[in-house]
Amino acid sequence: MDNFERRAFIKGAALGTLVFMVDGAKLMLTPREARAQGVPLRTLTAEQAATLDSVGETLVPGAKEAGITNFVDQQISIPAEQSLLQARILNVRPPFANFYRAAIGAVDQASNKAKSQKFAELTPDEQHEFVDLMRQNKLDGWQGPPGPFVYTVLRSDAVDVVYATMDGYATLGVPYMPHIAPTKRW
Amino acid sequence: MAYEKVDAVIVGAGASGSVFAYVLARAGKKVVILDNGPDWQLTDLISSDIWGRRVKPAGAPVLLGGKNPFAYTYQAGWGVGGAALHYFANFPRYLPSDFKIKSEHNRAHDWPIAYENLAPFYDKVAADVGVSGDAKAEEKWRPAGAPYPMPPMKTFPNGEAWLKGAETNGIHFVPAAVGMTSTEFKGRPACIYDGWCHVGCPIGALANPVVTYLGEARKAGAEVRALCTATRVLSNQDGTRVTGVEYYDANKQRQVQEASVVILAAWSAQNPRLLLNSATDKHPKGLANSSELVGKFMMVHHIAGTWALFDEDLTPHMGTVGAQFMSYDRYAKTSYPGAFGSSFIVAGAAMKTNDYAAARADLFGPELAAFMKRAARGITRITFFGEELPQLENRVELASDKDEFGMPLAQLIHSFDDDALRLWNANFEQGMNVAKATTATAAWPGKPPFVPTAHLHGGAIMGKGPENSVTNSYGQTHEIANLWMAGPCIFPTEGASNPTYTIFAVSLRGAEHLAQNWGSVAG
Repeated sequence: MDNFERRAFIKGAALGTLVFMVDGAKLMLTPREARAQGVPLRTLTAEQAATLDSVGETLVPGAKEAGITNFVDQQISIPAEQSLLQARILNVRPPFANFYRAAIGAVDQASNKAKSQKFAELTPDEQHEFVDLMRQNKLDGWQGPPGPFVYTVLRSDAVDVVYATMDGYATLGVPYMPHIAPTKRW
Repeated sequence: MAYEKVDAVIVGAGASGSVFAYVLARAGKKVVILDNGPDWQLTDLISSDIWGRRVKPAGAPVLLGGKNPFAYTYQAGWGVGGAALHYFANFPRYLPSDFKIKSEHNRAHDWPIAYENLAPFYDKVAADVGVSGDAKAEEKWRPAGAPYPMPPMKTFPNGEAWLKGAETNGIHFVPAAVGMTSTEFKGRPACIYDGWCHVGCPIGALANPVVTYLGEARKAGAEVRALCTATRVLSNQDGTRVTGVEYYDANKQRQVQEASVVILAAWSAQNPRLLLNSATDKHPKGLANSSELVGKFMMVHHIAGTWALFDEDLTPHMGTVGAQFMSYDRYAKTSYPGAFGSSFIVAGAAMKTNDYAAARADLFGPELAAFMKRAARGITRITFFGEELPQLENRVELASDKDEFGMPLAQLIHSFDDDALRLWNANFEQGMNVAKATTATAAWPGKPPFVPTAHLHGGAIMGKGPENSVTNSYGQTHEIANLWMAGPCIFPTEGASNPTYTIFAVSLRGAEHLAQNWGSVAG
């Protein structure tokens, strides 16, 4: 990496922040801060965001407040080689936005078919049951990336924002022990 | 911009390419190394599972096919250092039996060399990069050699928890040999056991190429060109010699680097892709491919991991991501009735929160939250790596899809045969028996709907002649004297040991041979 790029990278990583666009300005924020400040989404629609928030919260309690939607939205809005998403490790073919649009669309389509409501409008019990069926590939009429794979990818994102952060380690009582210490808890 | 012709151009700045660069540059040769990813520095290696994905594969994907696709993206590399920038640095050797499966079992291939040919290079590599372990203890399974330069690493409860259960099942563990520093070594500090090896070790305690062979190669004058994607190996009009490498640079401009010798040291799926994409009228099937064996005999290790939860605080986050303990007690090819192939066993790996979540991939919601709290204190795993034998049908071929430079993507087709699947299942059964003989309060096989895999080998295998192989034992192709292959792509069988130590040793043997015979090879 050239020196300039490396400095920018180190700064972002050390702070545990990502670059979010707000009113044309670049701000370094954690996903949790981006959510709290209402940072506009760049790629996902409001409807898609509502679904992703709900699926994330069903998969890992706390994922919504931890900014899963801002995290995913920011990550699918940058070049794939810069992405920090688990999708990269799970061999999702770039551009990753295509996968997320298809996955979220499949969730709402299947929810509409089964319950005549979008996923975000289901009760928590219904959402839990839906995700359990998706995990086992048992949802009738599912159209899109395989349900178990959608479960795996979105669960990984939710785990990332809730448990892979310094705050997440702290909630579990696990010492983080970084070589290159973040100065914020993400 | 036209570049001057150099002595050697190496494609790939990972483990094997770094060794060739080190040997040739120190022999006074002008060396250029091309790598398709960034030129990572130690300061880029952030201690985070999220940020650690920056050093994992990017760019043109490898398309996956077959019944058991090889999920490569976690462990493969991208950029200078390659996969060895963030590997686990387990350094078990292959055993003598790995080199003569055909002779002893009438299956697969013999290597054209024996363990004894490689043994001195294992010892040299250990002295070069630094290996910690107890050579005497592991010599119950292999011929004696030099002691390792550093004593074994520290152990932790997450590894020690397995010892009694293993002994009960006739599995004797010894300190794992690892490419890490248990003490200060050549100016590199001792490991501090914080468990971030898998995203790269920024203090250099882990023997990645940047702090070992590649660093030395650069000091000796080797030039590394990052973000340069090789697309073709160029050859002369009569097809008797290669002349250089065509590549696209960081500005996506086509370049040609002429060289007296070309060494392909990219990943095992990319090396065949390059050879196949370099076809000419003199080599219509691809370079070095008159045998039609380029891209064939791809092999991977299958993984059987057994998880266990203990009430005691095992400090799962502590240690290294490699192993604390290792055993070859199921390495004999016929260890299990009805199955065939070696198994290599390790226990005691540091785990981070993503690992806890992966241990029970079926859990979500409040059940996952409860499990995470238990796992944070008491989770651990014993892992069996299993061998598969080479099959012609497991292959890399060119796909119809192309990358941004117009080069066909690689398609990697892989399926396990019944022997491999029986061995995989036997290893799960063995792992559960070990777990039941510990004080664990719960144990379960980490058995997802797919077969977990690691360590790609094959695609340009070595042998005694062109009728059954692509290269000789040094990596020199049979057909074109100045075209060389490096890395696990030339392994004719894969054993069950983690391969990087053997990659270093085979590459060092090949590179020294090339340097000693430079005149006859380079022309």
